[in-house]
Amino acid sequence: MNPRRLRAIVRRVVSEIRRDRPSLALLFIAPLVITGLVTFIVRESGTPDVHAGIVSGRLNQVIAGPLEAALRDQGVTVIDLADEPAARTAVADGTVSLAIVLPADLTGSITLVTNGLDPAAEGAQIGAVQKALISAAVSAAGARAPTVTHETVYGVPSDDPITSFAPAIVGFFVYFFVYVLTGVSFLRERTGGTLERLMATPVTRGEVVGGYTIGFGIFATVQVALLLAWSLGTVHVGAIGPLPAFAVGLGIPMAGSPLLAFLVVLLLAVGAVSLGIFLSTFARTELQVIQFIPIVLAPQFLLSGVLFPVSTLPDVLKPLVALMPLGYAVDGLRQVFIRGADLSVPALQGDLAVLALVAVFFAAIASLTIRRDVV
Amino acid sequence: MDVAIRAVDLVKRFGTVTAVDGMSFDLAPGQIYGLLGPNGSGKTTLIRLLTGMTKPTAGHAEVLGVRMPDRPNLARIGYMTQGDGIYPALTAGENATFFAAVYGVEDAARVTEALALVGLADRRGTVAATLSGGQRRRLSLACALVHRPPVLFLDEPTVGVDPLLRVQFWGHFRALADAGTTIVVSSHVMDEADRCDELLFVRDGRVIARGGGAELRAEAGTADLEAAFLHFAGEGAVAA
Repeated sequence: MNPRRLRAIVRRVVSEIRRDRPSLALLFIAPLVITGLVTFIVRESGTPDVHAGIVSGRLNQVIAGPLEAALRDQGVTVIDLADEPAARTAVADGTVSLAIVLPADLTGSITLVTNGLDPAAEGAQIGAVQKALISAAVSAAGARAPTVTHETVYGVPSDDPITSFAPAIVGFFVYFFVYVLTGVSFLRERTGGTLERLMATPVTRGEVVGGYTIGFGIFATVQVALLLAWSLGTVHVGAIGPLPAFAVGLGIPMAGSPLLAFLVVLLLAVGAVSLGIFLSTFARTELQVIQFIPIVLAPQFLLSGVLFPVSTLPDVLKPLVALMPLGYAVDGLRQVFIRGADLSVPALQGDLAVLALVAVFFAAIASLTIRRDVV
Repeated sequence: MDVAIRAVDLVKRFGTVTAVDGMSFDLAPGQIYGLLGPNGSGKTTLIRLLTGMTKPTAGHAEVLGVRMPDRPNLARIGYMTQGDGIYPALTAGENATFFAAVYGVEDAARVTEALALVGLADRRGTVAATLSGGQRRRLSLACALVHRPPVLFLDEPTVGVDPLLRVQFWGHFRALADAGTTIVVSSHVMDEADRCDELLFVRDGRVIARGGGAELRAEAGTADLEAAFLHFAGEGAVAA
């Protein structure tokens, strides 16, 4: 090994990176920001705000009184509900986040009802209620520790945990791959001289963005279809010779229409195409397109309910949640996957409307980044 | 005289740098004009102003009687960029077909014609990335010609092209000009200049001299165009 040549190469590499400010920022600042954000979320994530409704049975005098007091000590707001059907309706329409149905006699168990859309957040709420129950049982002298059953309005709480995780993961990975593919392709268009040449033709900026959106939309359609088929389907293959029988596909249960799930992800993907075009303006190399991931995609991953329930995020970060397109897709997908929502459900309508607006907004700013003075 | 291209007091500044500093000229149809000057003299910026790719800071440009920038007028302009400006993953035929489509050409025979003109008819199905450097330049030219534009801007078309291919290129340019196409070729290679009908010497964003090759040499009293350029640039002593 020739030390002079080696030194020359090292010097060139260092000089190159030193002059690449975006890379330097991503190399040194992005990891601090991301790890800081994760640590902040993990440390500051508290018990979610619990709005509980109580259906009191004849045990009211034994447990309900101390329980209400204990719940209030835990910061839980409590309202009284008439009966179990009323409790389920209140949970479904969001009047309360959790219903506590007390048993008719001492032999019955206490039933906690949540809506089942966000099991991680609901688990935290149930934890808070269970603490209150223990405290109530202690103060109600003579009462034995109650047994607790958890039920959900949608789905069943004992489901494979992937049921709640899958919609988020499907949304995130489609967003991720479509963004990377578009960002790199459009960067090549910019740096390869083809964009300049294209802009010297009568083509409009809208046509360029539209063409890219549709072109990548085709791939996104196939990608989403494959991913949903893989996630939802299960194909059982019988034993072949020495090979034992096996199943292909994740077999994740879906309460709603796969077509609606497809629509949610497709709108998200269209937004990702425009985002890729927009961000390619600020990149000079393909590596830089990849380096935008910690800045653009990681916060969405952390703040969209993919990993951490939105309701448990620190208060200071909650306003940012509304700015994350992925959050609307994750919520929309959970509505379809778990709740079985159709287009008449306002929550799903809202998610679809926001995703469509985001797609249009990014398409507009993406077309502004394609510079030509020709109108 | 009919005017194909007109520049009127064109100025383009980028911050404190003046790339084009008050150029005015008329160019006639069916002629080959050479924009000659060193790198950074303003040739590419001038072409971008004439094609409407960038707005002038002052003055204006007209192509075929239409004030630029004008998007529909771009259908009558061909532009070969300094880089190849072709899609490497597409075949030669797909590249030419794509540009034919964006220029609004409906006749599929034009693609065949453009590829044949640059000698790539037999490479139609070859992926552009696997073509040689010279073949890619030829494909780039075909993409600029596929809509039979009456005005053609060629930004350093022969950079990296071997002498034999360069001769072929100039043959194509002459045939097109004879058929009525106005061609503006930028170059910093002086030995190509004699193939142009008229030359515009560009230096520091200005046209410092204009005329036929022989005319400019005679006016400068020099034997070659390089020395003539230096003469007009006020650097005669260096040339000597």
